[in-house]
Amino acid sequence: MRLTFGDTRLLALAAGAIAVGVVLFLNASRKQRKRKKLPYKDESDTVYVVQIPRGKKVPSPSPFPIKLETYLRIAKIPYENVFARKFSSKGKIPWIRHRGKDVPDSQFAIEYLNEQFNVDLEAHLTKEERAMSRAFLKMVEENLYWALACYRFIHDDVRKADYPSVIPTWALLLFGRRIKKYAWGQGMGRHSVEEIFHITKLDFEAISDYLGDKKFLFGDKPCVADCAVFGMLVQVVFNQTYSPHNALIKNEFPNLERFCWTMRNAFWPDWDQILAA
Amino acid sequence: MGLRGSKPTFDDSSNVVYFIQIPLRGLRVPNLSPFPLKLETYLRMAKIPHESIMISTLSSKGKTPWIRHRGKDVADSQFCIEYLNKQFGVNLNEHLTKEQQAVSRAILKMVEENLYWVLVCYRWFFMNPKDMGLSQNIPSLIFAFIRRRVRKYANGQGMGRHSQEEIFHIGKLDLQALSNYLGEKKFLFGDQPSETDCSVFGMLAQFVFSNIESPHCALIKKEFPNLERYCHTMRNTFWPDWDQVLKGDASSTKL
Repeated sequence: MRLTFGDTRLLALAAGAIAVGVVLFLNASRKQRKRKKLPYKDESDTVYVVQIPRGKKVPSPSPFPIKLETYLRIAKIPYENVFARKFSSKGKIPWIRHRGKDVPDSQFAIEYLNEQFNVDLEAHLTKEERAMSRAFLKMVEENLYWALACYRFIHDDVRKADYPSVIPTWALLLFGRRIKKYAWGQGMGRHSVEEIFHITKLDFEAISDYLGDKKFLFGDKPCVADCAVFGMLVQVVFNQTYSPHNALIKNEFPNLERFCWTMRNAFWPDWDQILAA
Repeated sequence: MGLRGSKPTFDDSSNVVYFIQIPLRGLRVPNLSPFPLKLETYLRMAKIPHESIMISTLSSKGKTPWIRHRGKDVADSQFCIEYLNKQFGVNLNEHLTKEQQAVSRAILKMVEENLYWVLVCYRWFFMNPKDMGLSQNIPSLIFAFIRRRVRKYANGQGMGRHSQEEIFHIGKLDLQALSNYLGEKKFLFGDQPSETDCSVFGMLAQFVFSNIESPHCALIKKEFPNLERYCHTMRNTFWPDWDQVLKGDASSTKL
């Protein structure tokens, strides 16, 4: 069968399209492979902390990376931050990598690091204090977290909060829709704006009353619960300064702001230097 | 068991608190959900006259339990308690110091927002459905349907993203904290019970009395026996009619 000029042209076009497609695919794979290559040196003892990039007002818009980094600083464990939009096997940040092992979830990461580096920030606590430390940790991370997340993503405009500029607005809004769904399942999302504010106030009151005049929750030495409380409260005290929660702390629970400054000055003396420009 | 349920008739002129709970009377606990058990224990502790209605009508927030008092519906066990404290001039935490009240709230939240999800994940993902502890097994299609929704909720909340061993470990740390804080005391804060005892009892009773096949029950018996002792103390003090309630003999708690 003899090919006509039209057939040849069609074949050429098809070949060209396939060639372009192959080039685009190879390029995308190369970019993907480049993205996947993160700078781990698995033979060293360095702990790599994978988290989203710094904000302009707070080291992270999420409380958990701040909790984890504060713990690492208190425990004096050598670590290196890897700022990437790479989520853990559980779909969250932060997570750590150490000697080739990935550990997701900030609390599991801390338990792992306690074992690896023989650290126990609660060694000085009594049995009852350890129990109370756990209770405060869970209140802050499983209750207060949701109350503040509902405010940030559902009740208020999330674009007012301090987020790194690499995260596009559409991603924030999409994440906010997800938080709304999650909060409904968790329970907090079923309450009204006023009820959630009330719940937040009661949690603030509990932390404030327990802290009192003390330097840290349990005296002069910080523990993991202090890291969690700090990570959460800085979102109100330093990030969302326009929020009613910030006013509430200033008016009724000033020792919570004092606590944030104490933690920041003690463990983040480089706070201003590390923030995004 | 449709969740729409029927609307009962209330006498809104009386001072009686209508306590509406989902009909999940267990073989070994008055309700398989910890929150109705918490709220009813509170009503008994506070000696508030109440009438229990077991129907499948959920609250305006889609949950159980809820109350109706003088024509007002209040959803969420904790909001119910705050409402009733005000209405009836009750303060079960009066004898606590400021620090103890703070710890009371922290323990309440640890139990209801963390340990609760350990229980939920155990019951819906890891437990043999026949061990639910109901007089009739939940039909497997309905069980599968509910489990799908629970999985969505648990994943969103976070607990559902952990492995079975990790979830058990998290539960163990919570139980250890409760045990260490309780120590030798009769109730959480001493000889007098307080508000949070209602919640802790409501939750622990699920492991200690209902899910007796669970590794959590075995763990409590072996490593945290004071939690079992505590459950019996709460039960004997506030539920002397426990066995009758289970049989359905006690027309629950008209004071």
